[in-house]
Amino acid sequence: MRDLIGRKGARQIVSIVFIVTGAVLVYSLFDVIIGGKCDSKCVIGTLNQAIRYAAPVALAAYCGLMCERAAVINIGIEGMMLTAAMVGYGVNVYVFTWLKAGGMEPTLAGDVSRWGALALAVLSSGLMALLHGIVSIRFKADQIISGTVINILALGITGYFYRQYLAQNIPPGPGTFAPFDIPLLAQIPILGPIIFQGQKPIVYFMMAVTLLIHYTLFFTPWGLRTRAVGENPRAADTLGIDVLRVRYVNVLLGGALAGFAGAWFTLEAVDVFNPQMTNGLGFIGLAAMIFGNWSPFGALAGALIFGLGNTITTTISIFRPDIPSQIPQMLPYVLTILVLTGFVGRAIPPAADGQPYEKQ
Amino acid sequence: MSSIAEGRAARTDWRAILLRTLDVLSMPALAMLLGFLGGAIIIWITSGSIETIGAAYAGMINGAFFKQRGFSETLVAMTPYVFLGLGLAIGFKAGLFNIGVEGQFYIGAISAVWTGIAFPGLPAIIHLPLVILAGALGGAIWAGIPGFLKARTGAHEVITTMMMNYIAFRFAELVVSLPLRDPLSTAVQTLRVSPNAELWSLWQIPERLSDPLNALGVALFFALGAFVIARWRASFDPSTRSGQAFAQDARRRAVVGGIVLATGVIAFLALPPLVKIGWLFNDKYDRLHIGIILALAAAAAVWWLMYKTTLGFEMRTVGANPNAARYAGINISRNIILTMALSGALAGIAGTIEVLGVSICRCLPLFFSSGYGFDSIALALLAKNNPLGIVGGAFLWGAMRNGADLMELNSGVSKYIISLIQGLVLLFVAAPAVVRYLLRMRAPSQAEAEAPLTRGWG
Repeated sequence: MRDLIGRKGARQIVSIVFIVTGAVLVYSLFDVIIGGKCDSKCVIGTLNQAIRYAAPVALAAYCGLMCERAAVINIGIEGMMLTAAMVGYGVNVYVFTWLKAGGMEPTLAGDVSRWGALALAVLSSGLMALLHGIVSIRFKADQIISGTVINILALGITGYFYRQYLAQNIPPGPGTFAPFDIPLLAQIPILGPIIFQGQKPIVYFMMAVTLLIHYTLFFTPWGLRTRAVGENPRAADTLGIDVLRVRYVNVLLGGALAGFAGAWFTLEAVDVFNPQMTNGLGFIGLAAMIFGNWSPFGALAGALIFGLGNTITTTISIFRPDIPSQIPQMLPYVLTILVLTGFVGRAIPPAADGQPYEKQ
Repeated sequence: MSSIAEGRAARTDWRAILLRTLDVLSMPALAMLLGFLGGAIIIWITSGSIETIGAAYAGMINGAFFKQRGFSETLVAMTPYVFLGLGLAIGFKAGLFNIGVEGQFYIGAISAVWTGIAFPGLPAIIHLPLVILAGALGGAIWAGIPGFLKARTGAHEVITTMMMNYIAFRFAELVVSLPLRDPLSTAVQTLRVSPNAELWSLWQIPERLSDPLNALGVALFFALGAFVIARWRASFDPSTRSGQAFAQDARRRAVVGGIVLATGVIAFLALPPLVKIGWLFNDKYDRLHIGIILALAAAAAVWWLMYKTTLGFEMRTVGANPNAARYAGINISRNIILTMALSGALAGIAGTIEVLGVSICRCLPLFFSSGYGFDSIALALLAKNNPLGIVGGAFLWGAMRNGADLMELNSGVSKYIISLIQGLVLLFVAAPAVVRYLLRMRAPSQAEAEAPLTRGWG
């Protein structure tokens, strides 16, 4: 056992060294490409933005992590996110219009509709997760196909509602959430401006949920049960753990997290919805999860790499309009493939991952 | 293989075949039915009236079959589905989920357009096979990379091919807007391919065949078909090089050669005058093209590959049980890469055909595909990866896609409803237990011994 922990620790150190070296290299390259125009303020801004872009990927990764720790593979995250993004946008706009017509004061109406939209977005994603759960847990369908069902259904649902209600003649909406600083923590030098300043609620939620998942997964009975169900469901069953119930709960919680990730697109990033907007971030989240070896902090690291890559590409396309914008836009995906190929195999999935459980 | 030999020897039991066919078709048919039912419920809820359901589905059927050129447009829409469905089926059979056919479709189209533009002087007999080959190669490389990564590092193909999709989309935008951009066009699109690289529309055939070189090409295609069929019907015994069996083989070889030669010569001499005298397709606005013939040939070829060759047997073994395959000495890595490359090649040909046969400008416009690849996933699973089933399913999918426009026009129901219906169909196909539960059917007496379609990480 001690040997195992030792090896794991060594691997974590290697990973951290790898990430830091990579970050330094990427930064120098970035600096050369944009011609040394990035001062310390710009670096802080870039890192701040990297966290913002990392949020949906990290939340998607946590969704995958919650499901897979209980041995349910979820490749439907992308679809859950897309559904949540659509629902969030639609509810935000239409509830706001309705409340305003009812005579509510616009700022209050904006707050009510934004939070309501977030809640319903999370709920809609949870419903998709419930479908995934029913199909893969109760009916024991192939989990990867079941996830694909979610993705294709989500494409159909969002496309349908988008074309029917959200493509034209949309009433003016209340816009996205406003950024704010976390009191006290924002005053910490360097770290404060990078992490705790000017972010929006879902990004802060992502940070809090990282700690929460780490704590619950490794230090609470619920976490122990989840991991037992993911590693050896038969043994867990023998100890009186309701395997299917644990799986349902985890898949639903995961779906809720994917809902936050989806809501990020339309309630934090931009105030429009289009059916291509999730752009594979759900799958990148899965790659981050594998990169992080099914642990929350590891997944966060993977998401941050992606966020940094995305921020850098955005900055490059601003500073260097002569480079066709498609080339930097490809980079996050190339990066994801590289990271995945470098880390998969060394990462070990939960032992029962992907296997339906048959009670005897 | 032995079952086929026995089947040929014994009297064909048509009743058993009919019953088995009905049995095989029952689940997909129920899934389709439930899918349309689900679609109807959604239309009902969102529109608030029952009549809209009728208007929508009537519009879809009308658009798919009865409007002017409706049926041939259905066949046009069906063509890429056949190739993409076959590509996915090959992957599934070998236990690989090539979710990136959409990207390979794009890369196939780009490679084809590029080859189509780059060699303006070539005659069609060389240029047309060349562009199709280029499209296949492009798709094969694009899918081969994830295959290689899976074989070498174990990176799961679902994530890598998905990433390759997004890279392909950006790459296509890049190619369309920079190196191959048509400078004279206001729309963002590539240059037009050389007329000799275009895929022939059916109405063009009399005119095209009046060129003897083209007629020769067609004759070669027919001869190839004749060779495959004759070679398949005449079983050789390769184990002997002497004696009576060898003499018999030699005779058979001569017969096969004769048939092939005769087919080729007859096609070369007879087809051009025949199509001049009478040709069914004279409508110059009809977009139906020879791609549909290639698609059917591809379905036959894939069936032959999967069930009649060692390679296909190895692929299916790897898919059914990789451990047994490894134990039997099958090279799994090589198999994974090859399967992915083949799968991508088929997807690449789909893109090639779409861009050379269907797009009006015979060029690659910005925003080119439209989800053909994702629809095909549901299609391949609906058809249970059976090539014949894929042809049938592709026809349904093509009809839905083609009918969707008129449906939207007539009833105001968004055409995305078909993706929703296809998603539901996939749901019911993926989990037959759901269908049985919904319809209160009993579980089949013998357990469904289906091999797992996909595999998890690691």
